[in-house]
Amino acid sequence: MQGGSSGIGYGLKYQARCISDVKADTDHTSFITGTLSLREENEVHLIRLSSGGTELICEGLFSHPNEIWDLSSCPFDQRIFSTVFSTGESYGAAIWQIPELYGQLNSPQLERIASLDAHVGKINCVLWWPSGRHDKLISIDDENLFLWSLDCSKKAAQVQSKESSGMLHYLSGGAWDPHDVNAVAATCESSVQFWDLRTMKKTSAIERAHIRNANYDMKKKHILVTAEDESGIHIWDLRKPKIPVKELPGHTHWTWAVTCNPEYDGLILSAGTDSTVNLWLAPISAGDEPNSEA
Amino acid sequence: MGTDDVPLDDKAKRMRDLLSSFYSPDPSSTPNAPSKYGILDAINTSSFDPDQYMNLLVQKSNLEALLQRHVEMAAEIKNLDTDLQMLVYENYNKFISATDAIKRMKSNIIGMEGNMQQLLDKIMSVQSRSDGVNTSLFEKREHIEKLHRTRNLLRKVQFIYDLPARLGRCIKSEAYADAVKFYTGAMPIFKVYGDSSFQDCKRASEEAVAIIVKNLQVDSLQAKLLEKLEQSLGDLRLKTDEIENVSLESNDTSKLGKVSDSIPTTAHEASVREFAEAIRAYRVIFPDSERQLITLAEDLVIKHFEMTKQYIKRRISSANLLGVLRTIWADVLLMDEVLCEAVLPDFSLEAAKDAVKLYVARTFTYLLQDISDALLKVNVKPKEAAEEHPLQVALEASKKAVLQGSMDVLLDFRQLLDDDLGLLVKLRDFIIDWVQEGFQDFFRALDDHFLLLSGRKNLSSQDHGLTEGVHVEKVLAGLVLVLAQLSVFIEQTAIPRITEEIAASFSGGGARGYENGPAFVPGEICRIFRSAGEKLLHHYINMRTQKVSTLLRKRFTTPNWVKHKEPREVHMFVDLFLQESKAIGCEVNQILPQGHLRKHRRSDSNGSTTSSRSNPLRDDKMSRSNTQRARSQLLETHLAKLFKQKVEIFTKVEHTQESVITTTVKLCLKSLQEFVRLQTFNRSGFQQIQLDIQFLRTPLKESVEDEAAIDFLLDEVIVAASERCLDPIPLEPPILDRLIQAKLVKSKEPNPITP
Repeated sequence: MQGGSSGIGYGLKYQARCISDVKADTDHTSFITGTLSLREENEVHLIRLSSGGTELICEGLFSHPNEIWDLSSCPFDQRIFSTVFSTGESYGAAIWQIPELYGQLNSPQLERIASLDAHVGKINCVLWWPSGRHDKLISIDDENLFLWSLDCSKKAAQVQSKESSGMLHYLSGGAWDPHDVNAVAATCESSVQFWDLRTMKKTSAIERAHIRNANYDMKKKHILVTAEDESGIHIWDLRKPKIPVKELPGHTHWTWAVTCNPEYDGLILSAGTDSTVNLWLAPISAGDEPNSEA
Repeated sequence: MGTDDVPLDDKAKRMRDLLSSFYSPDPSSTPNAPSKYGILDAINTSSFDPDQYMNLLVQKSNLEALLQRHVEMAAEIKNLDTDLQMLVYENYNKFISATDAIKRMKSNIIGMEGNMQQLLDKIMSVQSRSDGVNTSLFEKREHIEKLHRTRNLLRKVQFIYDLPARLGRCIKSEAYADAVKFYTGAMPIFKVYGDSSFQDCKRASEEAVAIIVKNLQVDSLQAKLLEKLEQSLGDLRLKTDEIENVSLESNDTSKLGKVSDSIPTTAHEASVREFAEAIRAYRVIFPDSERQLITLAEDLVIKHFEMTKQYIKRRISSANLLGVLRTIWADVLLMDEVLCEAVLPDFSLEAAKDAVKLYVARTFTYLLQDISDALLKVNVKPKEAAEEHPLQVALEASKKAVLQGSMDVLLDFRQLLDDDLGLLVKLRDFIIDWVQEGFQDFFRALDDHFLLLSGRKNLSSQDHGLTEGVHVEKVLAGLVLVLAQLSVFIEQTAIPRITEEIAASFSGGGARGYENGPAFVPGEICRIFRSAGEKLLHHYINMRTQKVSTLLRKRFTTPNWVKHKEPREVHMFVDLFLQESKAIGCEVNQILPQGHLRKHRRSDSNGSTTSSRSNPLRDDKMSRSNTQRARSQLLETHLAKLFKQKVEIFTKVEHTQESVITTTVKLCLKSLQEFVRLQTFNRSGFQQIQLDIQFLRTPLKESVEDEAAIDFLLDEVIVAASERCLDPIPLEPPILDRLIQAKLVKSKEPNPITP
């Protein structure tokens, strides 16, 4: 993305479906990613952008027992992350800790802190509160929303509360409001639902079909960005849930993921199934810098 | 005791009755009560029967009770006796006091007679004294009355003498009403004594009154005339209404080649002429009344144009408008002759400006309405199902509405321009500008309207509420396609034609200043419609693919793919998918032109490479069967993917049948691939996908121009499925073939029934 020239590449052995930035690592720009291979040995890669910014270095390579569908890094401890994995027939979610073996790349085992094994159906994602230290976790499967309390030192996670989304609402993912520790947005087939974690009740909803992904603006309150299969990216003001504030064309095929830049206003990154990543400058105009995905 | 008892008892009973009738709340109920509640309580009623009572008492009670009853009764009787005595004493007391009062009255009356006599004497003496006084004062009173009469007479005489001077003052101050009142007051006196003593006075006042009469006559004449003029103005206004009706007819006749000046018009002219004459005469009589007349004339013009505006609100042609304007202008010129101070032509020019501007705006509104009507017929037509190509018909109709409508509008305006009416000649530049501006605004509005019709607008516009959301679902995909093609038509055909026409007859203008450039900017409009066309086409493709996407989503999220059973037949979603693409093809073929160059371009871009790549791959898949082979074959696919020429999946959409169909199918297949990638399959699930895809291959390639891309995408689906499969062993080719053949036979059977 730098100057529109060819980006820095990093090769994984197999396909991957998820990547997460390591927020807790404030000294470096780091990412963590996991492979999605049904029949082969799956891996988790910890990648760091070299100090010159010209190279991506593998900081750690760990084997993971199953294919990884979702992965997110803990926002307050760079060695902790969560994965959602599948054995092909069943799904599981776990919290892992990277062992202290920096420098040695001999594929050490990840240490499983806790497994979030209360789910029955297909697990979609695990959410950390994005704004800092918080001992709660949220996991979302097709029908339920779980709130876990995590104790890293005791290596235990307990279900604190659980709520079903109701009949015929299949949840597909979610986002945790960085401004409000009690507000979570969950995407489902025909709407985005907003949950209050204290009561575990739905507070409101945006009626909109086929939302793939949603993300809160880290800087501005009440701003939510959603990605939709067919009709691109929408920016919503949650106080006016009827009509989107702004509309971006998105991708030529599905728009799969969106995220807001935590530092700069109006910078939105989106990834689509047309194998492109688009960077949008939303508040002023719909500037568009497509870049190929690795 | 027994004999004494009876009268005493009788008395007591009467007393009791009296008392009870006085105190009891409902005496009527008492007689009934005893029969019901037993005779013992009936002692206080009028129908008391002592023998029965006694019998009953003796029967019912024992000795003790009887004794007790006796004691009670004796006590009661005593009480009643004392009561009676008290009442008798009271009566005696009253009687005695009444006797006392009468005695006293008698003694008082005895001394009255003497007093009366005394009073009579005194009254007599008073009367005699008053008579005396009366006679002594009579003479003096007579004298005073005489003096008073004289004074009144003198006062009247004074008034008569003063009358001429007073009348003069009244005339000066124009208080004619007072003057007349004075004069009529003095009139009887003049009649009686006018010839003798008040001769001078009479003459002088008669002169003054003559002046008054004259003055009054002039004023009333002026007011009356003005009133009359106003009245005739009202008549004129009514007549314009008639003329509008008549002008419709006269224009019909003029179309037949007759003279448009028909008789009613001249009748109107005559009345206006009359009015003008009246004004002229009025001015001669009253030279300083221009202000009123100008207001009057302006009022006339304003009323004329108000009527015209009302008239424009109905749908009229410019010929009709011309008729009306011509009449008005004639009136104005006539008025101007007699009243040039009013500057009526300028005044009416301003008013006409508004009217013509309104007319231009209205005309464009109607044109927009026409086009929208033509388009919306699509929504109705499919229900009738009588038309074979409803979309095509709608497209042709709306094309015609746009082009013919615009041409008609231009022709209409030409009439306005070509007319040599003084009013319009002055407005010429304005009209040209308005027409140009009108077209500019019209096309902008049309673009907005297209977006609104397509349902895209609602997504972004803030002011439309929830109600629009309902509207979106109703929009037909076909209509969107028609709109897209119509936009292209407007851009490529209609705008150049209109530009030409405008250049030919509406050039110049310049009332809005040359630095602003011409009001009609065809380039801008073309740009708007080009982007609108693209937007609408994309919207159409989106709507279509969304439908397929829903279908695919259902297909892939419903079954448990890990526990899928062996494939028995091609899944029915394939039918639905093909049906959908056929529907698209049907709509597209009606609306869009064929693209001829595309086939050629595809073959020289990547046709050869892909065919050499995809065919062996498929052959491989069919020939090899064991697991090991399948795995190595997958590796091959990966390698092939690395080395093969990249197939462009997402190309620019063009306004051709092939391009739209291809794009839609490509997007759908891409979605299919993505859905597959989200699932995990067992061997049978994978084989089902393989079978479905294999079946899709032939019909899709028949309908789609870019075979290579379709092949590529279908292969991608299979690759994705095998990647997501726990045990990817493809179906044996013979089985595959047999299942496909079975499906083909099956689909042919109901074929004649379903479509």
